[in-house]
Amino acid sequence: MSIQLENISKYYGQQVVVNNVSLEIKDGEFFVLLGSSGSGKTTILNIIAGLVQPEKGKVLLHGRDVTDIPTQKRRVGFVFQNYALFQYMNVAQNIEFGLEVQKVPREARQAKRDELLELVGLVGLGGRMPSQLSGGQQQRVALARALAVEPEVLLFDEPLGALDAKIRMELRRSLKRIQQKSEVAAILVTHDQEEAFDLGDRIGVMNFGRLIEVGTPRELYENPKTEYVASFLGSANLLLGQIQGKKIRIGAEAFSIPETTLDLASNDRAQVLFRPEDVDLAQEGDQLAGLSLGKGKIIEKEFKGTYEHLRISLPAIQGVRAIAPTTPYGNPGFIVEVNRPPEQSAVLPLDVGNEAYVGVRRMHVLSHPGLNFLVVTDGTLRSQSALAMGGYMARMAHARLTLLGIGRDLSKIDDHLIEARKQIGSGMAALQVQASPEGFQTAIAQTVEKQHYDLLIFGWRPSAGYEQIEQALSRGEHHLLLATQPVGKLSKALICLASGEPGKDTVLFAGRLLRHMGAEASLLTVIPDHYPNDVPQNRINRFLTDGQQSLARFGVTGNTMIKHGELLPAVQEEMQNEDYDLVVLGAPLPERQGSVDLSAVIGPIISSVENCSFLIIRSQHYQRLNQRFGRER
Amino acid sequence: MNLALTRRKEKSQPGDWVLRGTSILFLVLIVIIPLVVIFQDGLREGFDSFWYQINLPIARSSINLTLWTSALMTVINAVMGLITAYVLVRFEFPGKRLVNAIIDLPLAIPTLVTGIMLVILYGPQQALGGFLIEKLNFRIVFAPTGIVLSLLFITFPFVVRTIQPVLEELDRSQERAAATLGASPWTIFRKIVLPALILPTLGGSLLSFSRAVGEFGAVVIVAGNIPLRTQTAAVYVFSQVESENRLGASAVSIVLVLISFVVLFVANAIQKYWGAHR
Repeated sequence: MSIQLENISKYYGQQVVVNNVSLEIKDGEFFVLLGSSGSGKTTILNIIAGLVQPEKGKVLLHGRDVTDIPTQKRRVGFVFQNYALFQYMNVAQNIEFGLEVQKVPREARQAKRDELLELVGLVGLGGRMPSQLSGGQQQRVALARALAVEPEVLLFDEPLGALDAKIRMELRRSLKRIQQKSEVAAILVTHDQEEAFDLGDRIGVMNFGRLIEVGTPRELYENPKTEYVASFLGSANLLLGQIQGKKIRIGAEAFSIPETTLDLASNDRAQVLFRPEDVDLAQEGDQLAGLSLGKGKIIEKEFKGTYEHLRISLPAIQGVRAIAPTTPYGNPGFIVEVNRPPEQSAVLPLDVGNEAYVGVRRMHVLSHPGLNFLVVTDGTLRSQSALAMGGYMARMAHARLTLLGIGRDLSKIDDHLIEARKQIGSGMAALQVQASPEGFQTAIAQTVEKQHYDLLIFGWRPSAGYEQIEQALSRGEHHLLLATQPVGKLSKALICLASGEPGKDTVLFAGRLLRHMGAEASLLTVIPDHYPNDVPQNRINRFLTDGQQSLARFGVTGNTMIKHGELLPAVQEEMQNEDYDLVVLGAPLPERQGSVDLSAVIGPIISSVENCSFLIIRSQHYQRLNQRFGRER
Repeated sequence: MNLALTRRKEKSQPGDWVLRGTSILFLVLIVIIPLVVIFQDGLREGFDSFWYQINLPIARSSINLTLWTSALMTVINAVMGLITAYVLVRFEFPGKRLVNAIIDLPLAIPTLVTGIMLVILYGPQQALGGFLIEKLNFRIVFAPTGIVLSLLFITFPFVVRTIQPVLEELDRSQERAAATLGASPWTIFRKIVLPALILPTLGGSLLSFSRAVGEFGAVVIVAGNIPLRTQTAAVYVFSQVESENRLGASAVSIVLVLISFVVLFVANAIQKYWGAHR
């Protein structure tokens, strides 16, 4: 391994810029870190070079732990976006600088310099000053300068970003050639997808400080695991279908799932990806090659040179929801992006307003279902907490987010939702907005019946009592987040595991959520005084260690605590010791009528603990009971 | 066709002429005529008398004292100004903003007051001044050291304020690049940062030098007016005016003007060279 990163995290103040990133890069490999600006990719490069110190994690170069070693001794070659040539030295002096620092004799230095000038194609320009060179030439000098010291790894920070298209292509090719020749492992950071595909042996896609997926360009394009990568690389058509046995249903039709994604359980929802070039268009339904999506209308047509791009509006399909491209507000159906080569356009010429049958030749099921959040808001001050927390968490977890506005006066709620949308801002995986004139309980029940949500978020204050919480838990399978703070922030969570309750699911969902925020967790168990001393202690210890390990699997660091006595004072005491922004609690099991009684355990805690939000998690056991009671009802 | 278009000058409006005339007239009245007059006055009895006047032992000693105290101050100021600017730009410390504001203070304080401050601090009757004279036989007030100290105080902002903006805009990635190539922090400072700062340091130093050459208020208080020992050129000019030797006053004034001219010319040349090679 040339480069190994182990659980690297970096914070700037409260903000996490690199979130628990682990990565291995093989000898001689050309690795590309791809992400939009602010995704943390340059910070990772700086961390490898030692220009930025990570808060957590280790950096290994060729097996040597360099985390605490200064930049000077890491032997990394760094090429900067703005070239960073030494402006008071000429080209030759620039290239020789590293060798001069190492006190390499003059003749050896000059020989190396001439060799490098030839390698990068700048023979005869050694006497020029950087200001006399073009951008492309400057970057070649920068490359030669980095190679002069024979680095163990090469780091490129958007090296071609400031160049114009033609030079970029040219330099890209020589970059790859030179890297292959030097056989040094390289990491290149870019936001340019084409560049990533062109250069990378493997690509890592980053978003909000997290390394989302790693794979060869082909793997990532054809078989992405996550929605983010699917929609970030090229344009994607994404639909939400339902798994049935070994098939996935899209409306009336069903098709088999490839073996690789069989770990999806039956009845789960799954995201189906097909690329614009996988779409088949025909005059008649029976002429279609693959699965049919029905008859659609062409709403946009663009000539792109080598192909033709169409946008086709399709009527809604029962049970299918479009994720990408986003459908305009109020449109019940969905939109499909299509790319066609000229041969096909010649056979079936289509213009805006024409109709055609739409089929899909090739589909891919995303194995990672992604999280789905529902934020309930009624425009009150309390709802601000829900919007702040929900927006923050959805952005970090790259979850789909639905805003449900509740209120009698629908026009007022609509105005509020527009404001709320603005407040949440851009950068969401998907943001939907709904309004309901019904009351809290009915509105939620109707919404969660139509669609599955992992987490329901609403603003809560102790003065509001438990009624809404109980109502929110009476339907659906979602967990609950009670937002109490006006800012979206989550860096430390206290997971309370009352002994004797099925806490496994609590830990698992908390871990799944917390890892996106880069948050830490403490696992707390309280043993009542009346318990016999010896027996449960062992079991509880093991339970906590298991929980810690489960969290570690998600990359969440956690410590464990055992306290004796009552739960409430124990939690209050711990809240004073540490600055938690979230307390995680397991929901009590439902009673026979499907209702939940909070007054025993959760109620006192949430109404007496201040300055943090609460996550109430329903166990699978809970969900099974709830379903049974539901059927009996 | 295009060339002809771009070369054609815009037609002048009558208002423009009034504006131009006013500004030039103002310059002539306020700056040029006094300058011409001093040259004319200093040379009115011929070059030989001028030469005689500036070669009088008292006059020569005052010009020499002025030059060497100013030069010594300039060297100290260049080094300390560079360090101060570097610390202010590159380091974070409590009270940084306050320090930054204090640097401009000497510009606002009347130089006469500066002189009085130094006399109060280092005067032989004062605790510190007395201690230095008695125990170390080190005299500050009424000695060249006092001149250098007061000049340092007065010109302190010049170097700092010329280096600061350059250092702030300096692209850090060059330093980072040097670090990845194995250069130690000292090497990086010497080879990457310093070359960028040499010209502004020189420019600021020359500015402080030309300011120091003409300093009167602080020097006359701190150094007194002892001919051949602590009398600087500016103070000499003043004393010649007092004793009604107008020719001597004008002659030495011409020397001062010429020194300022040379310094300004060099400073301008440096700025130009620097601008062209950025």
